[in-house]
Amino acid sequence: MRVEYINPFVESSVSVMREILGIEVKREQISLKSKAVPILDIAVIIGLVGQVEGRVLFDMKLETALRIISKMNEEEITKFDELAKATITELGNMITGRAVTKLSEMGYRFDVTPPAIFAGKDMEISDVEIEALIVPIETSLGRIEINVALREK
Amino acid sequence: MSEKNPVGDRGDGTFFRVLLIDDSVFVIKQLSQILQSEKFEIIATATDGEQGIEKYKEFYPNIDLVTCDITMPKVDGITTLEKIIDFDKNAKIIMISALGKEDLVKKALITGAKNYIVKPLDREKVLSRIESILKK
Repeated sequence: MRVEYINPFVESSVSVMREILGIEVKREQISLKSKAVPILDIAVIIGLVGQVEGRVLFDMKLETALRIISKMNEEEITKFDELAKATITELGNMITGRAVTKLSEMGYRFDVTPPAIFAGKDMEISDVEIEALIVPIETSLGRIEINVALREK
Repeated sequence: MSEKNPVGDRGDGTFFRVLLIDDSVFVIKQLSQILQSEKFEIIATATDGEQGIEKYKEFYPNIDLVTCDITMPKVDGITTLEKIIDFDKNAKIIMISALGKEDLVKKALITGAKNYIVKPLDREKVLSRIESILKK
């Protein structure tokens, strides 16, 4: 996977989280995974179709998700209910939207699918024939892993 | 010093009526809070494009403004915009999306959207864009 695909996702993750959560956000070392990757409690997945295809996954522990959701709603939310799901999905949506806008400015043409959410313990994700790059983002509300698996069609 | 009238106030004791079309309950909540704080009346909400078109027809001509998401299940935002404009060429529709791709923004405006807001949503940005549409 070309590194120029991942940078817009990393940059937009940092900028969107700083902007909407008002917190300090630090990017950590990128790692490459070519087999099944275990995922944490909550994963928002957004598909990309077109000249570049694949998916982007935002993965985090439930406690981290609830802290982010509470901050975005300006009220304490302790249950992972419909509003909570919509809130964390919207975070993924905004990050992906900004990254896709940047990639589009770089000349790549593609569309995004509506986000889906997975919640549960001991899940893993396998991407046939696409290697995934994982960028951990450390924040004061917890750690989020951005898992990007894209390829040119 | 006189206080500014709420943006949702027509100035005759009635308030602008808005239809919100978005598949995210978070965005519906966020927009409702912003608009209701300025006295707009949320006349209806829809969670996909198909429902949005139905609601527009159901409440027509009592809708002053529509906010419409782009990426939605069933019927996407651009198709929803086209269908509402086909039904009512004077519809005031503002597109709201996390996607700011130039071709998409152009397509929305050519199709008939009055404005396009790229998320994250900011209270001042939302209100100033809406105000400029309603005052035209």
